[in-house]
Formats: sequence, C-alpha cells, structure tokens
Amino acid sequence: MSDGLFDQFKNWYEKRHDYARAWKARTGGQVVATMCTYTPEEILLAAGMLPVRVLGAHEPQNVTEPHIFGMFCPFCRDSLAQGLLGRFDYAEGVVLAQSCIQYRQTFGSWRLHVPSVQWDYFIPMPNEVQSPHARKAHYAEVQSFREFIQVLTGKTLTSAMLTEALAVVDENRRLLRELFEYRKATDPQVTGVECLLAALTAQFVDKREHNEQLKKVLAALPMRKLNRPEGIRFMTIGSENDDLAFMNMIESVGGTIVIDDQCSGTRYFWNESKKDDDPIKAIADRYCDRPACPTKDYPLHTRYDHVLGLAKEFNARAAIFLQQKFCDPHEGDYPDLKRYLEENGIPTLFLEFDITNPIGPFRIRVEAFLETLTEDELF
Amino acid sequence: MNAEVNAPSAPEKKEFWRWQETAWIDETKDWRKAKILTCGIDVGSVSSQAVLVADGELYGFNSMRTGNNSPDSARNALQGAMDKCGMKLEDIHYVVGTGYGRVNVPFAHKAITEIACHARGANYMGGNKVRTILDMGGQDCKAIHCDDKGKVTNFLMNDKCAAGTGRGMEVISDLMQIPIAELGPRSFDVAEEPEAVSSVCVVFAKSEALALLKAGYTKNKVIAAYCQAMAERVVSLLERIGVEEGFFITGGIAKNPGVVKRIEKLLGIKAIDTKIDSQIAGALGAALFGYTLMQKQGAKA
Repeated sequence: MSDGLFDQFKNWYEKRHDYARAWKARTGGQVVATMCTYTPEEILLAAGMLPVRVLGAHEPQNVTEPHIFGMFCPFCRDSLAQGLLGRFDYAEGVVLAQSCIQYRQTFGSWRLHVPSVQWDYFIPMPNEVQSPHARKAHYAEVQSFREFIQVLTGKTLTSAMLTEALAVVDENRRLLRELFEYRKATDPQVTGVECLLAALTAQFVDKREHNEQLKKVLAALPMRKLNRPEGIRFMTIGSENDDLAFMNMIESVGGTIVIDDQCSGTRYFWNESKKDDDPIKAIADRYCDRPACPTKDYPLHTRYDHVLGLAKEFNARAAIFLQQKFCDPHEGDYPDLKRYLEENGIPTLFLEFDITNPIGPFRIRVEAFLETLTEDELF
Repeated sequence: MNAEVNAPSAPEKKEFWRWQETAWIDETKDWRKAKILTCGIDVGSVSSQAVLVADGELYGFNSMRTGNNSPDSARNALQGAMDKCGMKLEDIHYVVGTGYGRVNVPFAHKAITEIACHARGANYMGGNKVRTILDMGGQDCKAIHCDDKGKVTNFLMNDKCAAGTGRGMEVISDLMQIPIAELGPRSFDVAEEPEAVSSVCVVFAKSEALALLKAGYTKNKVIAAYCQAMAERVVSLLERIGVEEGFFITGGIAKNPGVVKRIEKLLGIKAIDTKIDSQIAGALGAALFGYTLMQKQGAKA
C-alpha cells in the first residue's frame, strides 16, 4: 500500500497539461514546449518562462502520417501527435536542441502544423561534442538563443538572472541525484517508478516548486519502509521512456529498477554545471559534459563505461534495453553495448517499444528473463 | 391442411483447421502407487494442455483447444486427463500453471513462464543433449537456449503478431479447405519447390495465397510456399540467437513435417526425435518443476 509520498509527482505527471495551464493563469508567463533534453532550460527560466518537455501519450493516433514517416521512432510520432492534437495549445513557443535527425523533423512539423505555436527556435548544438571546437560553437549557440529570447521578450537577461536560473536548475539536479542515491541500498526505500515520476516531472513542473517537493520527499525518506520484496535489481537503458504501465509491470513481477541510462531519467539531470563567472559558458559546457545520448557520443563511445559504471555503482544484477523501434542512434549502440555489459557480468534483455506496448507479451519476456536469473530452486 | 414445411438444413461447415485433440494415459502404471503426483497446465492462446507426472515420470496428458476463458480451459484440460484414470484434484500434490493464461489457473500453486517450462519439457523429451529449442506455438514462436538440466540460458520471442505461428497455419488450412494434419505431407507433393510466399503475416499471406491460386498454383504448391515462408521466418529468429547442436522443436507445428523438414534443411541440422506429443512440452515442463519443488519441500520437512 502506497504511503502517498510520491503522490504529488504522480498527480503532476497525470495532469501535466492542467498543471501548465494553471501555471500560466497564475503567473501570466509564457510556456515553452521543449524537445530533447539538450535544450538549455536555464535561458527560458531566466526569462520567467516555463519549459515543458514534450512527452508522448502512449495512445493510438492517426494524425502524424501525412507529416512524418511511419518508420520514424514512436517517440517522434507520439510527440508530434500531441502537438497536432492540440494537447500543448497553451505553449507559445517550441524549442529544439539538435540531437537526432528524426526528432528534428518532428520539430519541423510542429513549427509548420501546430497552430498554437507563436514562435520557435532551433539550437544547432554540435553533435560531435568531443570535437575541440564544440564548446566554442555551443557557447555561441546558447548566446544566440539568449539574444533571441531577449528580443522576443524585450527584456535583458542579465548575468545575475542567468546565474540565478542556473542555480535553481542545478539544485534540481542535485536533489534528484540525492533521491537516486537511495536506490543504491539493498531493499531501497524508493521504487524505480517513483524515481521515474520524480525525474519526469522535473521536466515540466516549475523547478522551484519541484525542488520544494523533492526536499519534502528527501526529508521523509530516511524513515520510510517500503515492505516490498526487492527481487532482481534491474537497470533500464534507452532513449525516452515514460511508459509507467510497463515500469510498474517490471516492479510487480519480482524486480526493482534501481538505475537507468535514459533521457527521461539520469541523462536529463546527472551532472551539474561547473562554476564559471560567465553563466552562458557554465550552461553551454554543462550540456557538452552531460552523459551522452548516442547521437553525441562519437568518435569515442563514452557511454559504454558510463552505463557499466552506473550498473556497478547501483548494483544492478541485469539490464533491460528499452529500444524505441526505428531509433537508429540507440540501435547502432545496442550490439556493442550489450556485448560490453554481458562481458562484464550484466545479462541483458532487449525489448522493442512502440507508441503503445503489449504489456502481456512483454511480461512473459521479463518473467522469463527473471527466471533465467533466479530459477535455481527449480533444478 | 397445410403441408409441413421443412426448413432446409444449413450445410455442415467443415472446420479444416481443427487439429486432433488428444488424451493419453500410461496404462502400464498405476498413479495410486506414486509418492508424488504433480500436474502442469499450459493455457496457451490456441491450445491448452494438462500433463500429469507421477514420481517425476510422464503419466498422462490431455490436449485441447483453449476456450474463451483461461480458468475454464485449465479446468477442462485437467478434467479430461483425470477422467481417463479416475484421479481427483485432491490427489495431485502440486500444480504449476504456464502459458499465456498461467496466472489464471485457479488451482495452481505456482506460475512459471512457458519459456522455462518448454526448456524443461524439451530436456525430458529430447534428453540432456538438447541445447536449442524452437517452440512454435499458437500465436508466437520462441527460440530458447538451455543447459544440460533444461535451464534457460537465453531466449528470443517473435514480434507482436501471429505471423508464422500455429494460428497462421490454421488460417491457411481453412483457406485451402484441407485438413490441417494433411498440410505437411501435401506440401511435398509438388513437381518443384516453389519460392516462399513473400509475407507470413496471417492477413497478407491469405491474400497472397489466393493470388497464387488464381495464377495457377496448385493447392499443394501454395501450401509448400507457405510452409517454406514459415520455416524461413523461424530460422531468422533462430539465427538471431544462434543454433547449437541438440536442436529440438516443441509446439503444435512440430507435428507438421512440411515446416519441420524445411527448417532442418535451412539450418543444415536435424531436430532430435521424440515419441512424446510435441504440444505438451510446456505443461510437461511445468509438471516436472512441480515435482522438483515437491521433492525440495519434502527434503526440507
């Protein structure tokens, strides 16, 4: 039985559009739909705006086919569907920082076909963040974005305003990491679903409000007892995933998700910015330094050690790849990353995700995977 | 006085897809002498089986079509087996449910996935040399690796559709109006082996099969093309996981030589033979797990 500690996050998640509308009515500020977690939210925050990450709804839809191909990943199609269906009609602006080419076309279609969009901005962030020129280039792009927002709002975004916004976002990152630290323990006091809700809501709730809620949860956690069997400790790997029904299923059949490498989870908040007198530099560098999405992880594959490091640090017994169908960047990494994890003692399971997922057949796969890890009593 | 009018009786609709439901009991044994009686119930999407195991040995089984709800299918399958030998549910010490309806077997003590159960069942049926199992079920197929005890070491399942599965074969059987058991033998009665149909999606294969008939293919040739397509599909699944020596096929389609022989040809290896009905592998594995669990409970007590 839930003690309600994470109910606020759950409520925010389930009513995220209501939250954004209420925020807008309350503050009179602009809401900005953000695409991809490489978007520097700090600039929007400094301008008094609410960044709201575009997430899918996991419902069948028939509106995207005229605009983007059916062989684009489900997240691209679901994200575009939400725009076309008017679910983000409260958002004046839409911003994308470059990551994958498919999502770029989702953004392009949003700009053209979502009537409520009044302005848009594309940040051509370098994909080769390992290049010696990347930081300088990205600094210039973040600076250009700042200037665009200044012209749009008619307000100057001073260094002090940017520094303050960065501090708020960094605090959010720090608090989320504190929360995730609790997952390292045996029989952790938080579930994977609860942590996912906390990380997801950070991506569309006012950061100051989110920080206050995280502090309340963190204050209550040391006394918390979950009284649920831990089962097998899993890591999840992939791109965006907010399919809570699926995550709940894993945690109901004898597993606990203890860590992830996903942009809906740790990749969004894992690293804080480094101190710098120039807030634009601090912001721009932070996005170059963050745990890489496969689109930004070459020529060296830094992800593999990062993912294995997380698995070891959080004592994950096995990993589940949640592969968005047709997501080329992640699919390209999969064979080598799978081999690397398995060579290092982390067995893996591969599941292919679509806009809607068949929980029953996935459950068979997850349970069978669990049995390969635990069924010694049967022999 | 009006003459009595007899309504014309509806022509009998033949169900070509209907496979033989079977029940079998080992008449050479007496279950009453067994120390541990266990049962495995496999409620699949198309068929349900109940297997009785006496002291770790196969004693009897009943295999029938899955009805419209899992608990009833489980009950009916078990009742059919028990009726043949005068057994009652109370006589059975441990019941394990498996298959898609495994959590809906009302009298089961434990549910185990069909992947683990098929591996265990195949280990019993084909011996401890079995390493790669292909389970061709009603609505999915699975490639499984196991060790010498029948413990799963790796597995893959097909995607989310019924292409290349037992249900697909049933549809073709009805379409061709040929009893399902005849499909395999008839698929070899062709002058030359045709190309596989290009799609094994149940819906599109049906329209492609009709197009081939219109183009002058004989029924046997269409069946051969469909069997080949099904074989190619499952072989691609097997190749993703890798085929090790000690290859065994379970599930209803293992009874179709038209598919099995084509799989063997594509893989270049022969599947291990068994005299036991391939459809009961899951339920048999479940019953054997039940036996092991009972033994361990006894050892603890």
